[in-house]
Amino acid sequence: MTAWIDGRAATREDAVAAAASLLAGARSPVFAGLCAEAASVQAAFDLARTIGASLDPAAGSALYADLGALASGGAMTTTPAEARGRADVVLALGAAPWASDILTELATDGPVRGRASGRPRAVLALGGPGAGSVQHVAYPAGEAGLAAAIGLLRGLVAGRVAGPHPLADLATRLRDALYGVILYDPAETGALGAEMLNGLVKDLNETTRCFALPLGDLHQGRAVAQIAAWSTGQGPRVGFGRGTPEHDPWRFDAGRQAAAGEADAALWLAALPTPLPAWTRTVPTVALLGAPKGDEAQVVIGVGVPGEAFGAALWHPRRAAIAWHAVDGPQPVPGPAAAILADLQARLASPAEKPFPAKNPTTNPERSASC
Amino acid sequence: MLTRIAGGRVVDPTAGRDAIGDVWIEDGRIVAPSDRAPDRTLDAAGCIVMAGGVEVHSHIAGGNVVLARLLLPELGVSEPGAPNPHGSGRDVGLLYARMGYTTAVEPAMPPVNALATQLELAEIPLLDRGGLCVMGNDDQLLQLLRDRESADAVRDLVALNVATSRALGVKVINAGGADAFKDGAVRFSLDDEVPAYGLTSRTILTGLLDAVESLKVPHPLHVHCSNLGLPGADDSLIETLAAAEGRRIHFAHAQFYAYAALDKDNPLTGGFRSAAPRIAEALARHPNATLDIGQVVFGQTATISLDILRQFSGRKAASPKRWIVNAGDAEGGGIVPFRYRDRGPTSSLQFAIGLELMLLSPDPERTILTTDHPNGGPFTAYPRILHLLMDKEARDREVAAHPKVAAERSGLSGIAREYTLSEVAQLTRSGPAKLLGLTDRGHLRPGARADIAVYRDQPDRTAMFARAHRVLKDGAVIVEDGEVVSWTSGHTLSLAVEADAGMARRTESYLQGRFGAGLSTFTVPDAAFPDREVFEAVSCRT
Repeated sequence: MTAWIDGRAATREDAVAAAASLLAGARSPVFAGLCAEAASVQAAFDLARTIGASLDPAAGSALYADLGALASGGAMTTTPAEARGRADVVLALGAAPWASDILTELATDGPVRGRASGRPRAVLALGGPGAGSVQHVAYPAGEAGLAAAIGLLRGLVAGRVAGPHPLADLATRLRDALYGVILYDPAETGALGAEMLNGLVKDLNETTRCFALPLGDLHQGRAVAQIAAWSTGQGPRVGFGRGTPEHDPWRFDAGRQAAAGEADAALWLAALPTPLPAWTRTVPTVALLGAPKGDEAQVVIGVGVPGEAFGAALWHPRRAAIAWHAVDGPQPVPGPAAAILADLQARLASPAEKPFPAKNPTTNPERSASC
Repeated sequence: MLTRIAGGRVVDPTAGRDAIGDVWIEDGRIVAPSDRAPDRTLDAAGCIVMAGGVEVHSHIAGGNVVLARLLLPELGVSEPGAPNPHGSGRDVGLLYARMGYTTAVEPAMPPVNALATQLELAEIPLLDRGGLCVMGNDDQLLQLLRDRESADAVRDLVALNVATSRALGVKVINAGGADAFKDGAVRFSLDDEVPAYGLTSRTILTGLLDAVESLKVPHPLHVHCSNLGLPGADDSLIETLAAAEGRRIHFAHAQFYAYAALDKDNPLTGGFRSAAPRIAEALARHPNATLDIGQVVFGQTATISLDILRQFSGRKAASPKRWIVNAGDAEGGGIVPFRYRDRGPTSSLQFAIGLELMLLSPDPERTILTTDHPNGGPFTAYPRILHLLMDKEARDREVAAHPKVAAERSGLSGIAREYTLSEVAQLTRSGPAKLLGLTDRGHLRPGARADIAVYRDQPDRTAMFARAHRVLKDGAVIVEDGEVVSWTSGHTLSLAVEADAGMARRTESYLQGRFGAGLSTFTVPDAAFPDREVFEAVSCRT
């Protein structure tokens, strides 16, 4: 069984028709989750443009903390493979890195490329629990918390904080590193902590090399951010309610819109495992699920799990890139969410629809440089 | 369906054609004039008819274009009815098509990020697209060169990367520079060594030049030299040209290298003057070389480059003061926002040098118009640039409005040349198409793809080129009076090159060791684009 309407089993054809009807009348539809392969996420953006929906990925706060810090100050970053190949010092910020595979891997070997090649790799911890199996030097974050500790560390590195300090030795180690890498989870540091970290890293690069390395999220957030950027010119969250895409992380928060009664219909896309928000049962919702039970929303349609049922372009945490996940002998049923979304697109697109409103060049000059 | 575009002034320098006449189309191709009655006649009286424009170097897709949007949300913002060249792929496609362009190439596709880049390129509607595979800082290649492996091994690795990323050609960006940056360097030139490999930039460049020739890639190696934007960068370009030793070579955004140091002893602090005459003269002597301009225009933009050494060095000029450097798996990338100050002395001189470079060109087919979008400014400035090339009086008025330094340190005011429409077609059509090895476009001879731009002939060339009267892609009308009338999706052009099985095995083992993920994760399969036929094969030279 792969489709349900109001909790009762239905044919896929009927379920898709019901989904189209649910979305067709919506004045403020919300597409959320977006935890799927690139083709399905792209199809969701295309459909959102057609019906004027807003989009909010499940990756949520971790993604926004990082995007917010990026847009306010920029960053200096590296990749997991470059960290493994080159880092002589790895600093783990907070608790999250200790639950990641990457820290364990970094602790098992040393740099093999570049000027630090052959040196041992030191693992340092700021405000983290550590792990018995990983030899490391621990520094306390202090009572003010992780973000404040990063700020203090930045002050120490730049010589702005004088006198003896528990983190002074850590600052020296970072300055002396040839290729430092600072692992962090933006969900844990918050936007302010991430911004302070980016400043710290940039300061260190005045005299040596050091890079930030964010831990990925579990819900394709970094892939969705890319698709949002090329589909709308903006990172998520974004809405098409006024025809052209608008970026507004507060306004287009799906949970907020559901709680405020602003959303009158929703599409929840979770081809990969994603915690289901409570509002899918209160807002009229179409749920496209890789592991459906049938009662998650008004209309539920089972879809193939990307990377298991069929080959798919998905976020690859070890490569920190969108990468192909091949599958031998793909299963024909159920198919990808992209096929359902394309069907909805065909049903909901108006043939007369103009992708861009007619332009009046005298009142709306193009945004471009002049010469 | 037989179509006749009737009564326009047909400009096709490849056929020596510049006269009132017709262009005939059938099944998406240009055909010889027919005795049959056309099924459709498109009136082009009072219009200029040219082949569709071809873009060789514009950053329109890839991880760094994405990062620029995330760094500068205000630059990519959408406003109703005002498509934005820094915005979505859809806006990019629309804005190119509106100007009469029908093909555009993203010059910087790192193989490690090929799938995302190709997914993004496929979302640019209306145009045919392509990407150049970037090599020259990746550890596997540098290892092969350090270990003095055979030229065949280097060739096979290049072929494998091109095939896996489904690229149209190969680009090198400050060969070895990104690697040197990761080891602390902030300056790097052609004969400097990449510290950890004991290889000079010249050795890497030579290896790639040979590989591209040996594979018969139609597009010559696309080279971003060292020292971009610095006084004295002209030396880098001229030295690199000499290093090519007659092999075909394309220089990207040459304007940014046409800066002769005023004080040879203190090049970085003494300012610069135009080196356009030196570069034009070198181009005249080297028929193996081509360049694109990288014209600067004024306003806010984001500079996007895989040359992380240069981007890091230029970080303090960022405006607004936020920037990104990503030390990636090979190059990575750097995003430094920049405002070319309108009537600022440096920006004005850069602006003058770009125009001078085109106006001194010994052969407009080899000096292709680009702004290195968005690095010199957005591609939407092309109509105004063409206007200035075609109109000495307009140019003089423009230069008079700029600080004197632009006229004093460049030769622009002394140049009387006015580009003809045929030369414009060489600069924007036949030249770039030949450079990319795309024989089916850039001209209007029978057999060509029916990618055609029809402009209303008007004295205001800016207005004329900004909004084509009509644009056809593969014979179908996609733009009428500057508005998109049919949202077609073109193809992504990829080179048909065979990868060597032995090199694929070696690379599989290398990638597994480095990434814990093999070659299959780096591929760009058709299945990534369900229910669409995205790719079109381009043959290697015979």
